[in-house]
Amino acid sequence: MSDNKKKILEMLAEKKISADEAYKLLSAIDSNEGESGDEGHDAFKGKSPGNKGKPKYLRVTVMPPVGGTINGKGNLMQDGNVGRVNVRVPMSLIRAGIKLTALIPPEALDKANSALKEKGINFDVRSIKTEDIEDLIEALGDMEIDVEGGKGEKVKVFVE
Amino acid sequence: MNWPPMLMHIKIKNKNTRFGLWLPLFLLLPVALVFFLVLSPLILIGIIVLWHTGWGKVALFSLKAAFVAFWSLRGFKVDIQGRNECVQISII
Repeated sequence: MSDNKKKILEMLAEKKISADEAYKLLSAIDSNEGESGDEGHDAFKGKSPGNKGKPKYLRVTVMPPVGGTINGKGNLMQDGNVGRVNVRVPMSLIRAGIKLTALIPPEALDKANSALKEKGINFDVRSIKTEDIEDLIEALGDMEIDVEGGKGEKVKVFVE
Repeated sequence: MNWPPMLMHIKIKNKNTRFGLWLPLFLLLPVALVFFLVLSPLILIGIIVLWHTGWGKVALFSLKAAFVAFWSLRGFKVDIQGRNECVQISII
């Protein structure tokens, strides 16, 4: 436990600060410690999916079948064959992207809604509000998609 | 604090070609800033002229969104590998 955290708990014990204030301070320390961590090493080494805490990256990985060939011809993504794909998108970029939906003209949103309905998804794109972004991103922390294809390729979508 | 992207690394490799590029974005940032400052009066006039049509607000928001999106690119990484091919793009 860091000295700062101890001090906060001591202040709480001495009733110098309220429980809410202590919680806020501890959260701030945790987030600072997370940010000061070595991103270059941890973030792309494949931390275990479903890592709790403030999500920093959205990861999409596609792994070819174990022991299988990527492609008979050695070509990438041809004839439905799968190579190794590793994509890491910062959450801040997703946040900025969601905010960009405010720029989409209403007509385009109507088209998107009707296209989603055709696919059986009853969702109003206009209901995405910038105020809900943080909740949405926080909820992504619990998300983990793990799909295994017919050829043995594995697709994983998770946050870390 | 969220730092802006400093470097962009592009690596493309296949049987015949091997290409790698380190793009120093931190050197481009001052150039982009100067460019933006020079153009800012024109942009401002454009926004004011278009404000009553509604497009001025959109333009202003787009500028901000583009800036925020660029600032958020740090940490973005794409790595695609086939048997003989490899494409990597990372923003550091």
